[in-house]
Amino acid sequence: MSELENFLETADQVLERAILSAAEFQQFDQKRTDQIVEAVFKAGFNARVKLARMAHEETGIGVWEHKVLKNTLATLLVYTSIKDEKTVGVISFDPLTGMTEIAQPLGPIFAVIPVTNPTSTVMYKVLIALKTRNPVIVSAHRSAVKCCTETVRICYEAALAAGAPEDCIQIIPAGSRELTQAIMAHPKLALILATGGTGLVKAAYSSGNPAIGVGPGNVPVFIDESADIPFAVSNIISSKTFDNGTVCASEQSIIVEKSIEAVVRKEFERQQCYFLTPDEIRRVEKVAITEGTMNMNAAIVGQPVQAIAKMAGIAVPEGTKILMATLNGYGKDFPLSVEVLAPILAFYSTKDYRSAINLCIDLNYLGGIGHSAGIYANNEERIMEFSQLLNAGRILVNTPTAQGACGGIYNSLLPSLTLGCGTGGKNITTENISARHLINIQRVCRRKPNENWLSLDLQHCLDDHYDATALYKEYYKNH
Amino acid sequence: MLKTNYIKDENKLICTFSGHISGLLCDELATKIDSQMAQIKETGSNQDQLQIAFDLTDVSYIASSYIRICMATAKKLKPGKFSVINCNPFIKKTFKVAGLDEILHVV
Repeated sequence: MSELENFLETADQVLERAILSAAEFQQFDQKRTDQIVEAVFKAGFNARVKLARMAHEETGIGVWEHKVLKNTLATLLVYTSIKDEKTVGVISFDPLTGMTEIAQPLGPIFAVIPVTNPTSTVMYKVLIALKTRNPVIVSAHRSAVKCCTETVRICYEAALAAGAPEDCIQIIPAGSRELTQAIMAHPKLALILATGGTGLVKAAYSSGNPAIGVGPGNVPVFIDESADIPFAVSNIISSKTFDNGTVCASEQSIIVEKSIEAVVRKEFERQQCYFLTPDEIRRVEKVAITEGTMNMNAAIVGQPVQAIAKMAGIAVPEGTKILMATLNGYGKDFPLSVEVLAPILAFYSTKDYRSAINLCIDLNYLGGIGHSAGIYANNEERIMEFSQLLNAGRILVNTPTAQGACGGIYNSLLPSLTLGCGTGGKNITTENISARHLINIQRVCRRKPNENWLSLDLQHCLDDHYDATALYKEYYKNH
Repeated sequence: MLKTNYIKDENKLICTFSGHISGLLCDELATKIDSQMAQIKETGSNQDQLQIAFDLTDVSYIASSYIRICMATAKKLKPGKFSVINCNPFIKKTFKVAGLDEILHVV
């Protein structure tokens, strides 16, 4: 048997277990389902510190304390946002329209997990899948297998103890592109929840199965002259340094008008950010971006400032929080203008407001269409103008973009680790993905005839002499 | 009401527009731009060096026909010799949505 045939057999086995699990699961009522979700939430939440440490040790990415917070978001905040949601059977009835909505599970879900947020993404996807009675198949990044396997074990044992069907959570062997592709394309798979790089998301969409993928980010943040500058800078730092910048919604560029450039620059310096010299920018570019591409170098993802400085061969003051690169352009000649998931920020100063917003649009379209954008301002008109001009699923106002975009902390966005980017990011939605996206809603339509339609003389529709105005009038006659 | 102004300087032509550029105005506008280009040609200047910029400082709306005029004008020039300058963010976004901001050098 060839290696490929082996993988296909494994994919068949995985899906067979999942489909049997789905068959049993679809008989569960809301109460039983909720009991399982609660048990998994508690087990995951109680393991948040251990799993965060494991993720940090295994991947070498980020800050373990911040990974604890990500695990908290993925369990506590996700759970509290879905626990009262109706996801089984009749979820709504409107006596006026006669419409009843029934939630049905989708079937086996393939959950692809990124290396940047491994344990948190597993727990979040498991919770929203179980809440909707869908078995989930986890595929871990090859650098995060151990921590993801342990997360799956903890969640699965808790689920089984609470009465969940066997094989409701599975994890596949890591590092096999062929197996991943075989599962993605498997006819028994219901949905792919793809969180990761552009290549992965494209593969998911090309598989022939439905997929919820997310696009990459390149988050521009505009600091308006009406902004509270110390507040803005402090928020940006807390966001960009969170888990060493691994959140795809974290700030990538700061844009200010010339009139406030000096004040903003001074404030960043006061709050321990370091502005690189032109020579240092070139050195950092070389380690941050793979030469000849517009892609970040995996080696710097989630690394602390001092490690990046060492790789680049530059010396920065002790305690530096973010490396700031003053740029005067974007695109291939300015490598740091693209997404870098590390504590490195591009900094732009423009001659006026109009140029600043135009630059934000350019940066938004440079690899981050539909994702997120940020504005610090106390001018409502400018906030709304910025919001209409940027193509972003989430416009974060006076809010750290990393924590803000994930929802539940600074706003009422759905707590999530998979952020839809709309069609600009080749996604089906701009929403934060949650349980509500993992059900098929059936609509039971009771007979409630449309009186307007009944009052229309259908013979008139067949008659060319009746134009739109005449028939429109007739349609609304006596109503 | 659309206002236009043309500034010629050897191999450069700056066309300044202001107002609302509707589709109805575009036929006339295209003729005017062609005529300006013809005048420059008549002076015997080097056509390969000809640069044209459309200045949209005070333009609030552009029709799709206007974007076609930009494309047609750019095609008549050597690569990199056409640009659209001083757009407000709404016009900038219009070129972005059309996917033509780079080809037309919208700044």
